[in-house]
Amino acid sequence: MRLSLKNVAVPDAWFNRLVIGAITLGFLALLTTGLTAYHSVQENQFHSSRVNHTFVVERAITDFLAAMDRAEAGRRGYLLTGVAAHAETYHDARKRLFPLLARIRDLTRDNPRQQANVARLIALTRSDLPFMDQSVALVRSGQRDEGVRQFRNSVGRRAITVLRAQATVMTDEENRLLAIRDAATTGSIRLFYVTVAVAGMMLVMVGAGSIWVILGYTRSLTASRDALRLLNADLEGAVRERTADLQRANEEIQRFAYIVSHDLRSPLVNVMGFTSELEGAARTLRALLDKVDAEAPHLADGDARMAVNEDLPEAIGFIRTSTEKMDRLINAILRLSREGRRPITPEKLDMNALFRSVGDSHRHQLDGKEIDFSVAHKLPSIVTDRLAIEQILGNLVENAIKYMAPGRRGRIEIRGRIENQRAIFEIADNGRGVDPKDHERIFDLFRRSGVQDQPGEGIGLAHTRALAYRLGGTISIDSELGRGATFRINLPVASTAEQEA
Amino acid sequence: MNSHQPVNIIMIEDDEGHARLIEKNIRRAGISNDIRHFSDGTSALDYLEEAPDGPTHNGPALILLDLNLPDMSGADILGRIKAEGNPLKRTPIVVLTTTDDKIEIQRCYDLGCNVYITKPVNYENFAAAIRQLGLFLSVIQVPDLPEANG
Repeated sequence: MRLSLKNVAVPDAWFNRLVIGAITLGFLALLTTGLTAYHSVQENQFHSSRVNHTFVVERAITDFLAAMDRAEAGRRGYLLTGVAAHAETYHDARKRLFPLLARIRDLTRDNPRQQANVARLIALTRSDLPFMDQSVALVRSGQRDEGVRQFRNSVGRRAITVLRAQATVMTDEENRLLAIRDAATTGSIRLFYVTVAVAGMMLVMVGAGSIWVILGYTRSLTASRDALRLLNADLEGAVRERTADLQRANEEIQRFAYIVSHDLRSPLVNVMGFTSELEGAARTLRALLDKVDAEAPHLADGDARMAVNEDLPEAIGFIRTSTEKMDRLINAILRLSREGRRPITPEKLDMNALFRSVGDSHRHQLDGKEIDFSVAHKLPSIVTDRLAIEQILGNLVENAIKYMAPGRRGRIEIRGRIENQRAIFEIADNGRGVDPKDHERIFDLFRRSGVQDQPGEGIGLAHTRALAYRLGGTISIDSELGRGATFRINLPVASTAEQEA
Repeated sequence: MNSHQPVNIIMIEDDEGHARLIEKNIRRAGISNDIRHFSDGTSALDYLEEAPDGPTHNGPALILLDLNLPDMSGADILGRIKAEGNPLKRTPIVVLTTTDDKIEIQRCYDLGCNVYITKPVNYENFAAAIRQLGLFLSVIQVPDLPEANG
């Protein structure tokens, strides 16, 4: 079973941005709504105060008219009865008239139409009052009849009627204003309601959107968590499966190499066997030829002698060296495949002792070629397969000895260090070196580099690299032609035994 | 060797060249016993078990067996002959093959093979091995026929 995170719905970056954008927009709309609501409340308040103002103005006008009526009533009572109390009433009311007019003027200062009306009202009042004062003064001075006569002329009555009409104009004007202001108030209240409704709707939408997004996130989070848990649970299984696959593939190759080398060997037995038979037959022929030469030399011609003495031995010689070489190659493949099948048994190894023993086993060659072999003090110890590491080191040291540069005293140095949990060993020589273009090639099976003056099949380094890989390590070369070579083995400090499938 | 009945050598070997080389070297060792050669497992088994002049019905035998046969593995033949109840069970079998794999050798001995010889690629060694086998054959004691026992 294989799982991948591809199936899990994780919102993309653009979706995240969209969600954040939508939420921001929602809150901006809410803020706008709030501001609008505040504004409409302010508006409403303003309109209410204007309506209130209208009522105040109307009240003032009514007060003025009432005062005027009272003054007129006092005058008339005084004219009829001559009782002083009526004159008092007249004067009281008359005193209040101008302050009331001034108040109306002050209240309607923002309205030019009403100002004009007030001015007219004031003018009317100013023109009427002297007549009224005069009639009251006539009664007080005892000329009551003259006062009554003047009243009959209706000058005062006309004035009152005009005044009242003028006041009505003003009241109407205020009523008109009141209607406008009422409408404005209603409008602002409606706007407020609409705003609140829109705000409510938006709030609901933002809320629903948020819940939807949160639910979506929660769902995808749960899904990814479940998928992750499954993946985690399956990871080890997947690794195991893959390892088993690899091991199977490796075994397949090993088996293949093994079968091929065995099946190749079988015809080789024939080639070599019958070559030997041929050799035996050639020997018999040669004995016969010798006998012929001794007893009847004229029977043998030059061609027969050539065939028996040169052609046959030459052909047999070539067949033999070729088959022998082929045998060595097949054996190399067989050894490699066999090495791959050998189980790895890690143990703690003292690398100084190991290198010393490798040096000792090559002592004869080292001394014979006068090569200085030095091992650094305190090489790191590692845990790995002894046989494999012995073969690796043996091969590398042997190569170093084999490919020394002529005309200079040979030197082989062994160094080692630990780097990032890896043990690195270097086998450095001052030999003939390897051309950098051949650095990879020399590790290939049956491939060699440089002057071919040394015996070998091109197997050693291939074998060495295969062994290093087997131990979980790598091997590389650092070299230039004529300047020696440094082979570097990089191994795990502790290699584990392979788990056989 | 049995005094009254000559031992037949039955060679099961698919490679004609190998068979010829083996025969030559056995003869060179001075062994003149009859050698019957089979190049596949089926005809070999047929001869071993059914033929009137085969070892089951007629005379003791020694089997030279190669493991790589075209139609079956030599190990199968080995297992079949050495199985409990087979009249040829006590017939000596010499496995003579190219394989020198340890596991293969163990398996053959487990199945009851009497001798396991790897064919050396080097002909001198090969010839020497076969000649020594010839010497071995000249002194080997082969059990009597099951019929003779029964």
